[in-house]
Amino acid sequence: MGIMLSLQEVTKIYPGAEHIKAVDNLSFDLEEGEICTMVGPSGCGKILIDDQNVNRLDTIGLLRSIGYVIQNIGLFPNMTIAENIATIPKLKGWDHDRIAEKVESLLEIVNLPPNEFMDRYPRELSGGQQQRIGVARGMAADPPIMLMDEPFGAIDPINREHLQDEFLKIQAKVKKAIVFVTHNIDEAIKMGDKICLLKDGKLVQFATPEELLTEPVNGFFRDFVGGDRTLKRLNLLKIKAAMKPDPPVIMQNESSEKAKSMFRELKLDHLIVVDNEKRLVGYVDQEALRMASPRYSPMSLAIL
Amino acid sequence: MQIRLFYPFIKKFAPFAVTAIIVFLLYKYYGALKYTSDNLAEFFRLNYEHFFLVIISMATAGTVGVGLGTIMTRKGFERFGSAIMAIVNVWQSIPSLGVIALAYGFLPLIGLSGIGVIPALIALFFHAVAPIVRNTYAGIKDVSNDVIESATGMGMTPNQILFRIEIPNALPVIMGGIRTSTAIIVGSAPLAFLIGGGGLGFWIFTGIALMDMGILIAGAVPVAVIAMLFDALLSRLEKIIVSKGIQIKEYQTA
Repeated sequence: MGIMLSLQEVTKIYPGAEHIKAVDNLSFDLEEGEICTMVGPSGCGKILIDDQNVNRLDTIGLLRSIGYVIQNIGLFPNMTIAENIATIPKLKGWDHDRIAEKVESLLEIVNLPPNEFMDRYPRELSGGQQQRIGVARGMAADPPIMLMDEPFGAIDPINREHLQDEFLKIQAKVKKAIVFVTHNIDEAIKMGDKICLLKDGKLVQFATPEELLTEPVNGFFRDFVGGDRTLKRLNLLKIKAAMKPDPPVIMQNESSEKAKSMFRELKLDHLIVVDNEKRLVGYVDQEALRMASPRYSPMSLAIL
Repeated sequence: MQIRLFYPFIKKFAPFAVTAIIVFLLYKYYGALKYTSDNLAEFFRLNYEHFFLVIISMATAGTVGVGLGTIMTRKGFERFGSAIMAIVNVWQSIPSLGVIALAYGFLPLIGLSGIGVIPALIALFFHAVAPIVRNTYAGIKDVSNDVIESATGMGMTPNQILFRIEIPNALPVIMGGIRTSTAIIVGSAPLAFLIGGGGLGFWIFTGIALMDMGILIAGAVPVAVIAMLFDALLSRLEKIIVSKGIQIKEYQTA
């Protein structure tokens, strides 16, 4: 796990606006297989960091070694899907067979059957399919680094969620170092291994989503995330982290008195029921216990 | 019903057939047919001259027009773009006869002859170049910014972007300009006769001068046929060179 991308004291000043630093002294490192989401309010400088990356790498060759996916996809309408994906490999002068092989494997990775999609044109595809082609095209030349500028920004929330999940699956397979620009904090938390929170071109916090939610460095993040910070954190929290490994159990042939006393002592209303070999067979709660005991059966009530 | 199979063909060719029959009857009625067959050698010479005028002026106008339109979209030339477009638009509003007259009047001022094939070609060229420049410029400018941005971001050089992305995507519009120009040129070429450029204008203006419908029609109908021929050829060419991904789906007649 080496460092794939290292930004060191990057500053961007636009000509004609010298007093404003669009990006101010930004540094961070990104390791292989990590997604770094850049997030902040509009105009905070995250897009400029895109420009920054692109402009600093002044040779075309270096530019071609970065996979680039933009918000509006920008597939080339005059080319077939296969030609779109093959653009950079072709410019790099790969031979025909290698390109064909790569195109097929990429289409499989993004879950679009190659036979069906290779010779179609972008306009014949849905927005979500086009976006996946955009991602495939970005990965075509095996770039170690990918730059994604609000790649799911133009897609409706339901499809976006789906694409995010798909993309995380793809990332699990390909393990690139990815810079993922978004203005959506939920997306940033979901997609990022690290989050780079920006304000006015300055780095506010560079941390894992967990850290960002539990220990925000200042009020800005609290405002930016909104009041449901805890909720968002719960969203992120996996049950495994909160689980107690040794739950109170009761054997299935114990008496109901035992269960009642356990309810009372442990202040529980559920108990896990196991058999002699401690295998889970079900659960019992106070209500069920009451209903099952003969004294409180509806029948006896009727007789009284 | 076997005949149903032929409906598409009938629908497609019926207008042509009807036109052809009417034209043929006119031809016969006014004696154009006889005039043509009596002067067959001249008929072929005039057609040749006409084709020559159209093809040469189209080739030059196409090359210069596409070139100029493209250059206007390049970095550093953008500020000339709107100025040139304004000139082009005004230029286009000058009628064909006016352009021919201008060639006749102005060329002697710069030391060239105002009479003959060359001035005719120059006039036709200037008349044809405007729509091509305009469409090329508009077509390339119209290519979506997202597409250009992603091409740039992927590391394509400006030339690669121009030849692989911008021009292929602008082709339908550029071809539209070329077709418009061709129609204008084929229709204006008879005027070349007025400044000694030859072509089918010879018979048309002779017919007008002699008030002889036969001679006039014998000249005018081939002009119309040539116009249709060029348009058909260009539309076929368009189908071949424009990517299927951006072709406008044709209206289905069947």
